[in-house]
Amino acid sequence: MGQLFINGLALGSIYALVALGLLLIFNTVQIVNFGQGQLLMIGAFFGISAVTQFELPVTAAWGVTVLGMALVGIVFMVLVYFPLRGRPPFLVILTTIAMGVILENLALIVWGPLPVSLPSPVRGAPFRFAGMVVSMHQAFIFATLTVVLVTQYLFFTKTRFGIMMQATAQDLNMARLVGIRVNRTIAVAFALSAILSGIAGLLVAPIFLAEPTMGGSLGLKGFIVSVIGGFGNLPGAVIGGLLLGLIETFGSRYISSNFRDAYSFIIMISVLIVWPRGLFGEKSSERV
Amino acid sequence: MKKQQRLLAPLLVAAALAAPALAGDGYALQVLNIAILNCIVVLGLNFVTGWTGQVNFGQAAFYGLGAYTTAIATKAGLPWITTPFLSALVALIAALVLGMPTLRLRSYYLAMTTIGFGEIVRLIIVHWEPVTGGTSGLRAIPGISLFGFTVEGQIAHFYLLFAALALAALVAHRIRHSSLGRAMLATRDSEIAAELSGVDTVRTKILAFVIGSIYAGLAGCLYASSIRFISPDSFTGTQAVLFMTMLIIGGMGSIPGCIIGAIGLTILPELLRFLGQWYLVLYGAGVIAVIVLAPGGLASAYPRIRQRMAGFAK
Repeated sequence: MGQLFINGLALGSIYALVALGLLLIFNTVQIVNFGQGQLLMIGAFFGISAVTQFELPVTAAWGVTVLGMALVGIVFMVLVYFPLRGRPPFLVILTTIAMGVILENLALIVWGPLPVSLPSPVRGAPFRFAGMVVSMHQAFIFATLTVVLVTQYLFFTKTRFGIMMQATAQDLNMARLVGIRVNRTIAVAFALSAILSGIAGLLVAPIFLAEPTMGGSLGLKGFIVSVIGGFGNLPGAVIGGLLLGLIETFGSRYISSNFRDAYSFIIMISVLIVWPRGLFGEKSSERV
Repeated sequence: MKKQQRLLAPLLVAAALAAPALAGDGYALQVLNIAILNCIVVLGLNFVTGWTGQVNFGQAAFYGLGAYTTAIATKAGLPWITTPFLSALVALIAALVLGMPTLRLRSYYLAMTTIGFGEIVRLIIVHWEPVTGGTSGLRAIPGISLFGFTVEGQIAHFYLLFAALALAALVAHRIRHSSLGRAMLATRDSEIAAELSGVDTVRTKILAFVIGSIYAGLAGCLYASSIRFISPDSFTGTQAVLFMTMLIIGGMGSIPGCIIGAIGLTILPELLRFLGQWYLVLYGAGVIAVIVLAPGGLASAYPRIRQRMAGFAK
């Protein structure tokens, strides 16, 4: 019981990271990126290639992945969002999905369909905490989520660039008028978002194996978390993510593991019926 | 333009009616039959995405629901005549359950709900083995039979499916030019402006979604009873992406565009088998290129070229 709780929280932390990546893009340009799960998958495979083909130590592989993902994020933004600024938003939904299809099939060509594993950057025996066994990797996942949250908070509230990004999110045209290079801040938002999904990919790969088709369901979990927590709501994304991880873990233990992916979806529909703006409220409403 | 269209339409119909003679009674004709079914599914998707601007990634799942409903019903001994109604009813109920909570909200809610729905339908088909046959699917589904008449052979099925497509296109055309059709376009272009002009956008979106799902459900019914074998592979998320690709490349919002896209992209993979995995990469790139460069798809290319030509003539 307690063990399931820890496992659920670890899974949930990864969902929360995916949702945080979605949130960064959503809060900057009001767009939901349907290729986020595939970005995560690419991150996992960057790490795996760095370790297995270039024989880098795992920590160096993390560094390479973070840099690589920043680049991928910017390319993503230039191809998928940039040409469609100001056009109906459903077109961007379609291009992000198309980009996801491209990434998934490129990964199948480059890395093949077989699942591969990535070692965790931390080693050592699991330890006991309040009667529950916590593996080093699980502890590392919790630590990573905490570091990401703190860094993100400091970046957005204490640094000049972070405040510029917040201004862009609040009103793009106003931000441009006061001299912020809006396109640059948007590019950074996409890069950071891709980095967050890349980190989530690096964290997932040691628990479940990485395979090119893993992105679809993980991306969907990110959306479901965002719906539960309320789109664009940061605490909502974190709490929603942890909640979903717990629900899935307990659901597959006590109900049926075949329908693991169905629980989250049923919960999302129920949340939408009862609280259409999520448990913690949506950040902003549609602008005219 | 009008005069040319009037000349073009009977020519195309004649060419289509002659197709079985050219394709023969083999695999090629079966591909063509599937292409026609895909046309109906994509015409349905066009109501939701092309005209109303809502992204539906569950079209393959609705298609699958229709197909499995028909297969299970006829295998249980129900007469064929009941199956189109049953398939349509199941698709309608599913569409209402998904659409009512999500279509009140912003466009991405429907997109992610339908992606999830597709996944759930697939899970149910794969894991509910006693009824759905699991991953190996259902074989020997009873064929179409109406009042004692039965349809036998690929060629007869081709003409039947062709008639169904003609009816589907006609209904779509009539709806497009009704007040509901105009409300759909207004909703797509600007929901706020549509609301201000007195359009009930939520009702319009739900109706478009329901009509589109019924199209897919009926196409599924015809699929099950004309191909007579179904398996979960035909109704996956990848298939949903392919339907969307057909719509976008053919031309969102255009009935001939849907048909060109569906037929073209059903036959193309058969010819491009040597590309293997690359063809999906190309599809993705094609979608982005079309949306960015020519949002009207192939259907918009013809009038554009004509305009250019007219410009040169002067």
